[in-house]
Amino acid sequence: MTTKSSMLMFVAVVGLAAPIAIRAQQGATPAAPTAKPVTALTSPVTGNAVTGKKLYYDHACYSCHGFNGETGARPFVPNWPANLATEGSFTAFLRGRANLSPVQPSTAMPNYPVQSVSDAQARDIYAYIRSFKSAQPTVDKIPVMNQILAAAKKPYKQ
Amino acid sequence: MSKSKKFAVNRRGFLKGAATAAAGAAAIATHVPESDAQTPPAGPGRSNTPAPPPNAAQLERDAGAVRPPAGGNARAAVRPGSDLMVQVLRDLGIEYVAANPGSSFEGIQESIINYGNPPNVMPEFITALHEESSVTMAHGYGKATGKPMCALLHGTIGIQHAAMSIYQAYYDKTPALLIAGRDLGFIAAHSANDMAGMVRSYTKWDATPKTLEESLVAIQRAYTEAITPPCAPTMVVIDIDLQKEEAGTLKVPAYQPPKISGIDPGQAREIAKGLLDAQNPRIAVGRLRTPDGVRLAVQLAELVGASTSTAATQGPMSFPQRHPLCGPGANTSYDFTLGLEQPGTVGLVGPSLATLLSRDSTNIGFGGIAPGVSRAGGAGRGGRGGGAPAGRTVDIDAEASLPAIIDEVRRQMSPDKQRVIQDRSAKHATANQTARIEALTRALEQRRAGWDASPISTARVYAELWPLIVDEDWILSSPSNFSGAHNAQLWDHNKPYSYLGGQGAGGMGYGAPASVGAALAAKSRKQIVINVQTDGDLNYAPGVLWTAQHHQLPMLTVMHNNRAWHQELMFVEYMCGVRGRGTERGHIGTTLRDPFIDYRMMAACYGMAGEGPITDPVKLGPALKRGLVSVKKGQPYMIDVITQPR
Repeated sequence: MTTKSSMLMFVAVVGLAAPIAIRAQQGATPAAPTAKPVTALTSPVTGNAVTGKKLYYDHACYSCHGFNGETGARPFVPNWPANLATEGSFTAFLRGRANLSPVQPSTAMPNYPVQSVSDAQARDIYAYIRSFKSAQPTVDKIPVMNQILAAAKKPYKQ
Repeated sequence: MSKSKKFAVNRRGFLKGAATAAAGAAAIATHVPESDAQTPPAGPGRSNTPAPPPNAAQLERDAGAVRPPAGGNARAAVRPGSDLMVQVLRDLGIEYVAANPGSSFEGIQESIINYGNPPNVMPEFITALHEESSVTMAHGYGKATGKPMCALLHGTIGIQHAAMSIYQAYYDKTPALLIAGRDLGFIAAHSANDMAGMVRSYTKWDATPKTLEESLVAIQRAYTEAITPPCAPTMVVIDIDLQKEEAGTLKVPAYQPPKISGIDPGQAREIAKGLLDAQNPRIAVGRLRTPDGVRLAVQLAELVGASTSTAATQGPMSFPQRHPLCGPGANTSYDFTLGLEQPGTVGLVGPSLATLLSRDSTNIGFGGIAPGVSRAGGAGRGGRGGGAPAGRTVDIDAEASLPAIIDEVRRQMSPDKQRVIQDRSAKHATANQTARIEALTRALEQRRAGWDASPISTARVYAELWPLIVDEDWILSSPSNFSGAHNAQLWDHNKPYSYLGGQGAGGMGYGAPASVGAALAAKSRKQIVINVQTDGDLNYAPGVLWTAQHHQLPMLTVMHNNRAWHQELMFVEYMCGVRGRGTERGHIGTTLRDPFIDYRMMAACYGMAGEGPITDPVKLGPALKRGLVSVKKGQPYMIDVITQPR
């Protein structure tokens, strides 16, 4: 097997934080809010996070967003993008993804029409996503990172 | 296991073949019992006749009851031709010959392990479990050293097993010396009239010598062609008869190393003047051929006080990343850029693989090499040094051109210019160090994301490793592009071999065997190898773990175990999504689950120490320390780390 495309394609990933520029061609629902990312969300959550956890895994959401939303090509914790502001904006976002006739392989975020992920399932996934907590200390609290910085400040040796 | 056992013939057919081979090797003074001596069928298709049952003598020999002929223990050949072949390899400085055993090169194999004092040293026989592994080992070794390693291939089957690895090394412009054994008198399907033809379109040169003397010259020529730009694998097909032939008084011909063409004196003068007259010269360094080229590039940069770019975070043989002159410099308005395997005001770029197109006689037309084939970019090394303007490209090897440029710079240098250069160099050093710390600070800020998460973030894997190896002489042998490429921002790549880069042609199954090849280079140079190993890649040819253990190689394997061919998972998920038929089955054919693979156990079954699977990030650092203690003792070590996808 080959990778079919170079890793450069990886940088073309369009994740949850990406603008929805091609929605019109798919006749999708109205665009999600375009406000700046926020660090805390307070909108209502009505889905089932336990069910959502399984859906997050089954639909391979982790593949781009990591298992806790904080790693990978398109992390969204703790700087939550506007697309995740509410259940409604999240569902709208799922419905309006991506070119529907791709020629080349892509690691862009897939489209999730209602026959793939129902509105109720979308709410469950949203509930699970909202349970994510940041697991990142500040740099000064990570000894290894301080060692890396200290090493970089040492004189260069041939 | 003998290759012949892979061949779909029954035991009787096998014995018949062995008998006919013995009789057919007319040039060999081997005693053949009269009852075994059957007339070898001539020409293609000779194996179509059903094999008769074995006779009594054959059965006796198969049972090991055969004795040498009466009259002493006379050897078939006092000075076998294969001894001279091995002497040629030794004279060329070939350290290792990797092979999965095969009868078509048994003469050479016996000479490697028994000829000379001490035997089995320079070259040492490295036992591989697959020809694809053998050649990828040579690929990894070649990138770490700039020198060819040798791989032996058994007939048509060995060559075809190796084909993918040869293809990758070719795309990666990496030298490798391949010797294929041929035995026309044994199993018909294992030989062919033009064996090298199977891989001719992606090797640089090949020969099928007719005599022993020609064989010796051909090996030397293959070495020369492999290391002459464009560097690439080369192949010599050597008949078993020539390996076993009595060499008599034949001498090993003296080897003349190639003289690789560099720029002419006029161009050297022009470039030296450009560098010295510029207010702010720049040198953009791509991938050179050998460590000597890197040394010369450093020498030139220091002589003229030029800031430099490097491709050291993308592959081997480029400018040291932490060198004070490496970076944007104090002033990013460059008025003269010399490109070394890079574009520039003047860019010196060695011959591309397109210069070998005539070997693609059936016009396969490989993408990026043949014109008009691919939408993707062209093949070839170089890397992106950045900051180099479009200018004039001189089609000439950069490394071979550096001595003439350095000589000219010295000739044109004046005390006034030296003072300016000293001042400029000091400013560059300060600016580059500031830029480096700023970039590192930004990188660390980004990579703290998910620091305490489980599964473990790939950034943490690289971050935890770096303080442990920063003062070691290390090689990062595995491609990091599927693991976040965190080394590019967190580590310093200061040696020609610090990072060996990508697969060459993007093919999987490269990382582990290339790491073993790098570890062969590291073993004799007191270095250690870090192999951050993707799980999908390892499963192509995991037998290389046994090779690493058997030969006691200093290789630390840290699994980037995301339990998938992750990029393919993303591709398929995307297709599922855009077609609107459900993404919940995207894992089919793209993931390694049900069951998960336990890589510590995999390593253990090959005799390698290790630990894991590790899911708790707190346990990662101590495991890496234990692994490095083992590796520094010459014992490879496996740490299975369950990671975030990327």
